[in-house]
Amino acid sequence: MIKHHPKFELLKSFVEGDLPASLAAGVAIHADFCSICQQHIDLLTEQVAEMSFEQQATDKLFIDDQRQSYPPASAHLDDMIAQITASDALASTQRTAAPVTMSFKGTQYQLPNALRNMSLGKIAQIGKLSRARVQLDEGKIHTSLLHIAAGGSIPEHTHKGFELTLLLAGSFADAAGEYVPGDFIMLDQRHQHQPATEAGCLCYTVVNDALHFTQGINKMLNPIGSFIY
Amino acid sequence: MLAMDSRLLSRQSAVRSSSMTNEINHSQLCQWLNAIALDRDKAAFTALFRFFAPKIHAIAYGKLNSEALASEVVQDTMSKVWRKAHLFDDSKGAVTTWVYTIMRNVTFDFLRKMKANKEDNLSDDIWPLAEPLSSEEESFKDHLQNRNLQGVLATLPESQQQVVKGFYFLEMSQEQLATHLNLPLGTIKSRLRLALGKLKTKLGENND
Ligand SMILES: [Zn+2]
Repeated sequence: MIKHHPKFELLKSFVEGDLPASLAAGVAIHADFCSICQQHIDLLTEQVAEMSFEQQATDKLFIDDQRQSYPPASAHLDDMIAQITASDALASTQRTAAPVTMSFKGTQYQLPNALRNMSLGKIAQIGKLSRARVQLDEGKIHTSLLHIAAGGSIPEHTHKGFELTLLLAGSFADAAGEYVPGDFIMLDQRHQHQPATEAGCLCYTVVNDALHFTQGINKMLNPIGSFIY
Repeated sequence: MLAMDSRLLSRQSAVRSSSMTNEINHSQLCQWLNAIALDRDKAAFTALFRFFAPKIHAIAYGKLNSEALASEVVQDTMSKVWRKAHLFDDSKGAVTTWVYTIMRNVTFDFLRKMKANKEDNLSDDIWPLAEPLSSEEESFKDHLQNRNLQGVLATLPESQQQVVKGFYFLEMSQEQLATHLNLPLGTIKSRLRLALGKLKTKLGENND
């Protein structure tokens, strides 16, 4: 059973589109495994949407901002409507892309849909560890697919910033216990851990190796407070 | 039909006369979107555009801090509404949720373009538009009581549903809800009390 879930504040930032792609994908992957969080996300989306489109909310925004109200000219608006409706093309029903797979140490893994269009680096190996970077170009935030072969472990380490480990396949254990696919494990520098796997596992990891967060992320993390523990 | 119309009218004027609430006319939005889907109805699209565009613009401006980019988000979002209207399924959620998802995704891809200089358009993979209902149904499968509660919950006014869902399903505190919904704590408390009163009565009825 999945025991580790994203905190509420993280789900909320996810719904509002305020997380970096790395963490947003992490939450999306977890929700694929976890119907409880998926349900929370659906409800939150409904609520946030409702609030976003209440007249009052945006009226207030305009007043607060002292900005010219939208649109600048109604001719512009009519143009936009005409331009959009001029096309009769319908969007196709669904993306039908085949699932992306990747092979680590001879085992083929199907990757989560959230990663479908992310570019993946070559696999680098040290002993029982194999790592492929997910090339998101998010500055100090590094995202990877990390495979630990059977009997392997990650040497004891501490974190600067945060470390998200999302188990995709297999299982591993540390001092805190056993983890199953879907477990969303968020750690910070106060934690030390040494995960080890008996049968091998594949993880999605997001690590912020910087001492300080970038402005945007800091904003997101600050209200969370106890988010990293 | 006439009765329906007059009920809608009275609901609208009730909303207008109340300064506290500003409820969205979901059935009207749904009618417009369905008219686009079925008839490619440009008048309905214009109406939908006039409802959503200013709000999308304001929200996108808040995130992108540029009039030009906010305008592009409006254009992209509303183009998708026009081209994807036939994919909207009103049994799966409100029009506002559907449009919000499109807008959030478009804005996310714009932000990524700005910040990471990447045009990889990841949003539709992270937040797929057509949410499968199956997972939701599965999670309720073993909770008949829960399902029953959902049905009764749906009969409450939107404003009360929000509070009940936030409090019981998302386990938010009343204070958190007040902040989240931008309402006075007193309003949250009274909505919750009203809603619970109704729920008790209705669930009692159903258990007979
Ligand atoms: Zn969960």
